Amino acid sequence: MSDSTRREFFERAGQAVCLTTLVGAAGLVVRRSWALDAWAIDPNRCVNIRLGVNGPQSVCQKCAETCVLSLSAVRAVNDHSQCGRCCICPAYFDVQSTVGPDGLPSKKLCPRDAIVRQPIGEVDPYDPLNNYYEYLIDEEKCNGCGRCVMECKDPAGLGSIRLEVRYDLCLRCNRCSIAEECPETALQRCGADPQPRSPLVSAHA
Amino acid sequence: MRPQAEHCWKLSRSLAIARRPIGASGRWRRRERVFSSPASLVLFCTFILGAVLGSTLASTSAAQEVNYSRPVAAAPQPESIGADYQLPAVQHVPPRGQGQYALDVVLLVAAMAAVAYACHRGRRRMLVTATTLLALGYFGFWRQGCVCPIGATQNVAASLADPTVGIPWVVIAFFFLPLGATLLFGRVFCGGACALGAIQDVVVLRPVQLPLWVDRWLGKFRYVYLAAAVWFAVQPAPARDFIICRFDPFIGVFRLSGTPWVIGVGVGLLALGTFIGRPYCRFLCPYGGLLAVVSRFAWRAVSITPDREIDCRLCSTACPFGAIENCRASRTACLACARCFASCPRQHAVWNGETACNIGPAPLVELSPPPREPEEVLV
Repeated sequence: MSDSTRREFFERAGQAVCLTTLVGAAGLVVRRSWALDAWAIDPNRCVNIRLGVNGPQSVCQKCAETCVLSLSAVRAVNDHSQCGRCCICPAYFDVQSTVGPDGLPSKKLCPRDAIVRQPIGEVDPYDPLNNYYEYLIDEEKCNGCGRCVMECKDPAGLGSIRLEVRYDLCLRCNRCSIAEECPETALQRCGADPQPRSPLVSAHA
Repeated sequence: MRPQAEHCWKLSRSLAIARRPIGASGRWRRRERVFSSPASLVLFCTFILGAVLGSTLASTSAAQEVNYSRPVAAAPQPESIGADYQLPAVQHVPPRGQGQYALDVVLLVAAMAAVAYACHRGRRRMLVTATTLLALGYFGFWRQGCVCPIGATQNVAASLADPTVGIPWVVIAFFFLPLGATLLFGRVFCGGACALGAIQDVVVLRPVQLPLWVDRWLGKFRYVYLAAAVWFAVQPAPARDFIICRFDPFIGVFRLSGTPWVIGVGVGLLALGTFIGRPYCRFLCPYGGLLAVVSRFAWRAVSITPDREIDCRLCSTACPFGAIENCRASRTACLACARCFASCPRQHAVWNGETACNIGPAPLVELSPPPREPEEVLV
């Protein structure tokens, strides 16, 4: 066997080995493939959404603090079809604060003042308790700290506000820094169909 | 009034102290924290009083009928809110569509095809530069570095080790397509499609040649890094870590945010890269290590000259990456940047259409002898 044919033989053999390895590995991996590449918060794992942690002082702020973006891609989202439209919303007002002359708590809960409250429907100007209120979250201000999410849940609220990944902002980091820091591994790479509004499995104790 | 006052007292006590829902419907229990102060308690008592009075008066006068049944256990819907209230759009944004992922993959393939064409057929550095800049813009600053094949190595390793770890199909495509392209045409991914390579390629200003042994030995570190990355990726879930992504030096530059010291390393590598060509690609990139192994068996290797070597060594001095040894391109080290073409005299002669200058033996030019000075003028 001359030198050039030997060289050619090794080259062909190497090509065959590489090709086999690549195709084999690809075949193994493809069976576990997902359609989407997105991070989603599992509401039943998030300590702010899930029930069991009490009070704004024990709020988990990892979503606000650890995202690589300066303003986190995780934001609070109010699903208006689930909102109780309370007059004294525990996610809007700091219900621990003193009550002002109008009968409403004097302080707001959101440290960034990102929630806008306005009466809707047929407004009764004399009795604030007789009105429905709409709570719009200003997504430009919200940084996903989770205080309102912590408050709007059983027994005070209906759980309409949840933390969600905003897919127009999320960079889909391969190694999500929030997921690395999440105490409950609530932020997970979602599969074929992300369902951030899935119902909570546990009731409040 | 006596029974109502008593009712109020019981309510306040059970709400503020026992924190227990009142009544079978549990309709008051969402108020419990509101009544921590006396003023709100008074307000609430008035509220209850009004409700009871209203309900008693309702039988006699329909005009007094007021719905005081909030707070409610279920969310009020637009028909009960009235006044033609429209639900505002919930601020959901759907995840990135399949079409956009497909666009990423198509652009990756197109970039590698452009570099392969430039290196094997077109023989133009210009095309590689254009591809590099586009890749830097799109994969780097627009998509902000994710997804990239370098990090995808860890996803593939984790997915192979742990069957429960899913992997998006776009990550699979980004991992295997450059390897396949390398098996065909050499490291065309490194040449123009890689955003991390592109950002280093644009800062290569005054490259110096490293001694060959330094290049070789520092290049071994890629495999150490690759082994460490795979090792951390195949750990079970709590200990799993993607160190390539954690210590990616240029992602912070793309995003203009991130861990300060990692950005510092990235900027330092870029500064180093002005005189040592692409230090991350040559000495650190784990995926580059994989590509180097595969490129040894590439179907088509990059040839420096279009026809025959004249061993002028101009290409060796032009290559910033030390990929030309003894006037021949090393398949594994060549990053398919096409810089050597620009410096090759044969390339200029054969490829740039300058055949008029005739590369064969130089035609003899009859040099006329210098005019002789008249010597015996004054004699």
